[in-house]
Amino acid sequence: MSVLVDPVPAVSRSRAVYMDYAATTPVDPRVAAAMAECLTIERCFGNASSTGHAFGSAARACVEKARAQVAALLRCEPAAIVWTSGATESDNLAVLGAARFNAPLNPHGGKHIVTARTEHKAVLDPCKQLEKEGFRVTYLKPGADGAVTPEQVAEVLSPETVLVSLMHVNNEIGVIQDVAAVGRLCRERGVLFHVDAAQSAGKLALDVGAMNIDLLALTAHKFYGPKGVGALYVRRKPRVGLAPLMFGGGQESGLRSGTLATHQIVGLGMAAAIAAAEMQDDALRLSSLRQRLWDGLATLGGVHLNSPLDCSIPHILNVSFEGVEGESLLFGLEGLAVSTGSACNSATQEASYVLRALGRSDALAQGSLRFSMGRFTTQQDIDHALERVRAQVGRLRALSPV
Amino acid sequence: MTTTSADYSPLVRELFEHPRAAGVLTDAEGEVAQGEAGTVASGAWVRLHLRIDRGRVTEARFQAYGCPHTLAAAAWLAEHLPGRSVDDPLPEGVGGLATLLEVPTAKLGRLLIVEDALGDALRRWRERGVEFVPPAHT
Repeated sequence: MSVLVDPVPAVSRSRAVYMDYAATTPVDPRVAAAMAECLTIERCFGNASSTGHAFGSAARACVEKARAQVAALLRCEPAAIVWTSGATESDNLAVLGAARFNAPLNPHGGKHIVTARTEHKAVLDPCKQLEKEGFRVTYLKPGADGAVTPEQVAEVLSPETVLVSLMHVNNEIGVIQDVAAVGRLCRERGVLFHVDAAQSAGKLALDVGAMNIDLLALTAHKFYGPKGVGALYVRRKPRVGLAPLMFGGGQESGLRSGTLATHQIVGLGMAAAIAAAEMQDDALRLSSLRQRLWDGLATLGGVHLNSPLDCSIPHILNVSFEGVEGESLLFGLEGLAVSTGSACNSATQEASYVLRALGRSDALAQGSLRFSMGRFTTQQDIDHALERVRAQVGRLRALSPV
Repeated sequence: MTTTSADYSPLVRELFEHPRAAGVLTDAEGEVAQGEAGTVASGAWVRLHLRIDRGRVTEARFQAYGCPHTLAAAAWLAEHLPGRSVDDPLPEGVGGLATLLEVPTAKLGRLLIVEDALGDALRRWRERGVEFVPPAHT
């Protein structure tokens, strides 16, 4: 019996150029192949918890191999990796779980948390929830380069602080924050340290031991794996206690109940293995592509660079165009997939916090674009993007009364 | 922020891509009224130039900074003003314009800026003291 299925609509390749890798990445064909193998009746479809029979133990073997691959990416032991549905869940489990479990153990009440205004909502919203539960949260503001410094963290740590959460790489401008120094500080003061590594895992070398990180969140779909799967690194020596969010079958040492999605996990593992092998070459290639893109944009005049080229990942270039409104720029660039800092459609009408910290006016923040590149970006893509952007910026500036 | 092409009507796209009355009018004979409203900081800034003769707009041009709805509304207005009386330049009203362009509720404020620019141009023209003299009845 066959079922007729409508084909998934394909994006017209002749017009579309994808430069929004920071939002999500295409699945690497090698990852897709590894995942597809799990989805046939002949292969490891079993429940990885049913290790009593061959079907379950085959699935378990796939899962544990993937666990070792992700652990290698972070230079940690496999047993410290907990599978989740993505970085949002990992961040929630880390922030809510660490705060709720450890606050009662702190002699001073342990109800203080330190994070930054520039964190992803997957960290900020759990913090807001904790405020409702009686926690006090300090939201640090980034400096003029968009980064929060270890000195800023040191200033606000108190005996009541139970957790610090700081992202490794900022998703808007790509700036790299000195998490190793913050980790050292937190270790000295006996405070747990959580890092949202969604934008750095698979791109920058990570060593959770050397960086003194206690909890680290990552997601597959930012480094050529599938959406819907991620991991949380949870330090084991000394063991970090977490209050789980999901209750049920007790999988993942009780930290995250739920039958493991073998194919998803295999995808994440394969993506991690490929990233470990290829990230340095990718970074070199992208550095020169990014320079080409910036050099081309700068010739337009009235263009501000928001990504500090010397301390940001080479995958991201965020720029602001004077005299150009962001939503119109994006609309005119249809066919070029990028992100914007325009808040025209946002509920609060607030321009990006990071860009404001950089000193950009609301108007300039609105006229900003984030280009993000990756493994499949070519020089042709860069040149195509430059051509489109030059044309639209020129057109909108000509239409404007400015 | 993400937008989809479904957020903009075909008419808005057409006006955005091919505005027919973009630019300025020169004021050699003192017939051009200029008006504007909005600011870059607020996300919408519209400037209109109207050439007015005996109480009717004969030519119009627009310049605009803002989102596609702002640009489209200003472009539509500049294209349709010629021939209209200065006493009733927008009979369809902002509401009618919103319907025509399928502007979402959240963006209605942009149309008010366009309307304000028009009002500003006509107010300045009236302040100059040039009055429309109706033809004598015979």
